Amino acid sequence: MDKLMILLPATPLLAALLVALRPGLARRSVARLSVGFSVLTLLLAAASLALYLAEGRPQWMGFGAGWGSLYLDPLTSVMSLMVAGISLVVHVYSVRYMAEEPGYARFYVLLDLMAMAILLMVAAGDLVTLLVAWHLIGVLLYFLLGHDSARPAAQRYAFWTFLTYRLGDLPLVLAAVLLYESYGTVALPTLFERIAAAPDAHTIAGLPLLGVVALLVALAAFARSAQFPLHTWLPYTMEGPTPVSALMHAGIVNAGGFIINRFAPVFVHAGGVLHLVFAVGLVTALLGSILMLTQNDIKKSLGYSTMGQMGFMFVEIGVGAFSLAIYHLIAHGLFKGTLFLGAGSVIGNARKHDGVPHDDVYTFVVERKPLASRLPWVVAAVITVAVPFIVLGASRWLMGGNSVGEQGAIILLFFGWVTGAQLLFATYRLRVDSPWRVMAMIILSLVIVVAGYTLIEHGFDLFLYPDRMLSERIYAAASIPLATFEVLVTILTAAIVVGWLATYYAAANGRERRGDTPPLRLALYSLISREFYVADVYAWFTQAVLGLSRRLNVWSRWV
Amino acid sequence: MTLLLIASLFLPLFPLSAVFNAALTRTQNPAVRYVLLLVWPQLGVALLQLAAHDVPPYFVPWALMTSGLYALRLLTVRDMGRWAGFLATSGLALAWALAASGADIADLHLFAFWFSLPSAVMALLAHALDRRFGAAYAGLHGGLIGPLPRLSGVLAVTALAAVATPPFPGFFGLLRVLHALDWTGAVAGLAIWLVWGWAATKLLQGFIFGVDRPAPGADIGRASTLAFTGVFGLFVAAGLYLTGGGL
Repeated sequence: MDKLMILLPATPLLAALLVALRPGLARRSVARLSVGFSVLTLLLAAASLALYLAEGRPQWMGFGAGWGSLYLDPLTSVMSLMVAGISLVVHVYSVRYMAEEPGYARFYVLLDLMAMAILLMVAAGDLVTLLVAWHLIGVLLYFLLGHDSARPAAQRYAFWTFLTYRLGDLPLVLAAVLLYESYGTVALPTLFERIAAAPDAHTIAGLPLLGVVALLVALAAFARSAQFPLHTWLPYTMEGPTPVSALMHAGIVNAGGFIINRFAPVFVHAGGVLHLVFAVGLVTALLGSILMLTQNDIKKSLGYSTMGQMGFMFVEIGVGAFSLAIYHLIAHGLFKGTLFLGAGSVIGNARKHDGVPHDDVYTFVVERKPLASRLPWVVAAVITVAVPFIVLGASRWLMGGNSVGEQGAIILLFFGWVTGAQLLFATYRLRVDSPWRVMAMIILSLVIVVAGYTLIEHGFDLFLYPDRMLSERIYAAASIPLATFEVLVTILTAAIVVGWLATYYAAANGRERRGDTPPLRLALYSLISREFYVADVYAWFTQAVLGLSRRLNVWSRWV
Repeated sequence: MTLLLIASLFLPLFPLSAVFNAALTRTQNPAVRYVLLLVWPQLGVALLQLAAHDVPPYFVPWALMTSGLYALRLLTVRDMGRWAGFLATSGLALAWALAASGADIADLHLFAFWFSLPSAVMALLAHALDRRFGAAYAGLHGGLIGPLPRLSGVLAVTALAAVATPPFPGFFGLLRVLHALDWTGAVAGLAIWLVWGWAATKLLQGFIFGVDRPAPGADIGRASTLAFTGVFGLFVAAGLYLTGGGL
């Protein structure tokens, strides 16, 4: 297993070196070599997961020095497999996609180095190795996003991404230094043992050290996973080559969820920080979804969709469902990577077919199809409000009340409820020949998806956190006082039920709006279309700093 | 105390840093610049050893102020020679924070080396650009990655090494400094590091990226590329071996 652990990051590094040291290599050979090594990396990742399952215990491997160690645990083995899989898909896709681009070999070298850096990050066994890999990812991403060196937009957004990543690197460095100073080790397993033995032994500026460290790690995760207001770089990464966008949205952006899971033993002692993570995630999920809906560019829309998904992932972390966040990031990585790589085909199809449905009269008279209809709105509203709630509640009940922490489970139930209701509302709005049959099929699909999701998530939780005590303590840390929680649940339930009834009523009886648009609506529209002015504030701040720098150079030109 | 003040000429602290930067600006010969960048800070460390005196605590904020000032100035400097000098000033000033924490003299010599070697190499690259374009000026002739890929690659690696990007030893040196500072000092040190990264991307965008145009001179040879790569390979290896990860 030791050799496998070393080979995992070493294989893509070797591929990068082989391509870099042979500058005259034909494009075809470059692609073959790089893809071949990617296949090998995937096989090694699968083998390391299999070996872990066979041995069933985490393994730490150092090289004698204080750092440069690797750590194979459930989180590493799962993440390695996911990273290697996505990396292979991106490698294969790039063979033809990048064929006409200059710097073909350079692109593959960078791609291989990126795979190495991510694998090193997920397998890092100490704080220093983790920091090195964490930073390298930001640097390599800068060069990958700016691969098209002649496009100013690509350079601009590569720079944004680099600077945001570097901003997020700072708290992680500080967290590492604080942990080392307080616990005297950089090796992660030893560090976590010492934290568990003496969690309250240290303070900084009068504050509990572990709370401060958890906050710093969370800040690093916010920047890496595009949480509001550090999200502006993410939608614009589409300016880079499409395979890089796919790698970015499917893999790299998920690093925030990974790092919080890695530091789970610290977050156990930082309930307040988990509440902050929940709030930031919620705001990000809402804003990301709103911005996604207002875009008219498919890749930018996908970018904001990623932001929303990352927000949701942080909500899961905030309620203590750490393993669910990892499951979410893997699922999201797979579907978002597919969407990015398929975006070009969607654009091509849209140019051929507008996709606008014909109206009822045309369908009835020309196509001679029966008139489409809908369910009565009251019936549909009751189904929408009740069915997801029953399905989700029943699936949780079948898994046993202790499968996840009580409060976390209820909050996630709300999200599931809203999402399921959205699906049923979309079904209601369809005008079809047999609405009852369609609704029944959708409900059946919902049951299958929810049951499957709950089962997998439960199994995943047992795999990632075999120490059940740790899992329970994370949920306990994320909990809030019961009375407050019950009040919030009551308000939220009422809001959802009334909200859906009003939505159905408006959909069934609403008329088209006439007259001028109200000023408030216009203001909201301009706010959203300017993406909440966050990028403008950053641009202003950047210019102010550069202006200060110029003035300093003029004033102190002799020194 | 007098020796410490003289040392602050060599491990430059503002405004005495003017001497170091003026010496660099006036020196036209790239080899002399290279040697000056490498040797000057080592003299400062030797003077610290001679002083055999505890560094007073107020040297630490003074060093951070100097480092921050030159980091900020770096953002809008376009001449690569000056850029290398300012970055070296900004990095070397941090050696005082290590010295104030009672670091070993050998560690200080190494720290000075980690921050001066990339700047010294950058002075050589500035000369290479100067020969081809008449000036090593960011934005003067962008898009070098197309016509001069080897020089661009070496320049990118040098800039990354200069701004303490891991796994270059400057990063581990920086970790040592952060370890030596209190938490407010550490936050200031990290902010300085952020500005270095920003300045490096601005520099690279001025030289490497941009519209591809024919260059008036040929690219550096394979042997030179290998020599530069070898130097940085050894630099990384030495850093990994000698710093033991910084913390």
